[in-house]
Amino acid sequence: MTEPEAKPKKRFHFKLSGNMALITGLTMGVLAAVVQGFFELQPPAAAGICGISHPANLINWLVNNNPVEFLRPDPPFTIHNIFTNVPVLTSVGFVLGSFIAAIINKEFKFRPGPVRDNILAFILGFIIINFALLWGSCPIRTTILAAYGMPFAMLILGCIVLGVVAACEYVKWKVRRVK
Amino acid sequence: MILGLATLIVGTIVGYLGQRSRFCTISGIRDFYLIKDPYRLKGIIGIFVGAVAGFALVNFFNGNLLNFTNVGGWQAMPMLSEGLNVQPLVLIPLASIGAFGMAYFSVMAEGCPFRQHVIAGEGRISGLLYIVGLVVGVIFYSIVIVPYLQLLTILG
Repeated sequence: MTEPEAKPKKRFHFKLSGNMALITGLTMGVLAAVVQGFFELQPPAAAGICGISHPANLINWLVNNNPVEFLRPDPPFTIHNIFTNVPVLTSVGFVLGSFIAAIINKEFKFRPGPVRDNILAFILGFIIINFALLWGSCPIRTTILAAYGMPFAMLILGCIVLGVVAACEYVKWKVRRVK
Repeated sequence: MILGLATLIVGTIVGYLGQRSRFCTISGIRDFYLIKDPYRLKGIIGIFVGAVAGFALVNFFNGNLLNFTNVGGWQAMPMLSEGLNVQPLVLIPLASIGAFGMAYFSVMAEGCPFRQHVIAGEGRISGLLYIVGLVVGVIFYSIVIVPYLQLLTILG
């Protein structure tokens, strides 16, 4: 995954390339608060950036407002009150920003992704959104909720860590069994 | 309209940085657990610190952010369901199962939902198919699972 690097000999050695993820996280946290506080994006608390509820809101908005009359659901699909009139475009922005970055740095190329089986990727997307909507937010927003002081979100963050550990143990066990 | 534009701009900035930094929350925990690589875990710590700083900053400049000292129960839940006025105690197991399942299957998909959006923008085929599955899944959830969630109101 990442190449092993030689350890720096200096006492303090802050490299930009080694801390890009930290900078991204800091930017996310600040931007989520700014977009919420100054553009009136609440009551759903801490809904600045989310990878689950924003796509869900966008898709439900598109289904509710589609041009074909008889395809509109009755009663309409649930949307957070703040997004009923305006579509939320964060998830479109994620794809667009990544596309721009890939074009600028000449990395854009259609190639098979991290999941080898394409059907499996589709099924995983389907399963993950159904599990995640029971809680209602992605790990990023869960962290922001925990930072704003919601004790319940800290519990859920623990559940996420537990899920990752369980999956890692399963993968380890599977690898060992094949050997 | 301004709100939609603001979310689009924020999403684009974050998506750009996410592509450059390979940021991912689930892989951050996984890398640290399996190979003790803290690079992506720093991202989660960064969100936490950035959110605390942003919260203080926005409230300092007369923004009005909600916190959870007074709000209790349903108002604090980020869940996307209407008219589900039940005690938080009923929702805790449900949300825990949801978060556990999301984390477990996200490791199988090699990335959190945000990372999947980013790799779809890079042109990875499985990321694009993941997004298609996500769209179908949202519609399935709204049609099939939301009516069953209303049954929880019996429990109080």
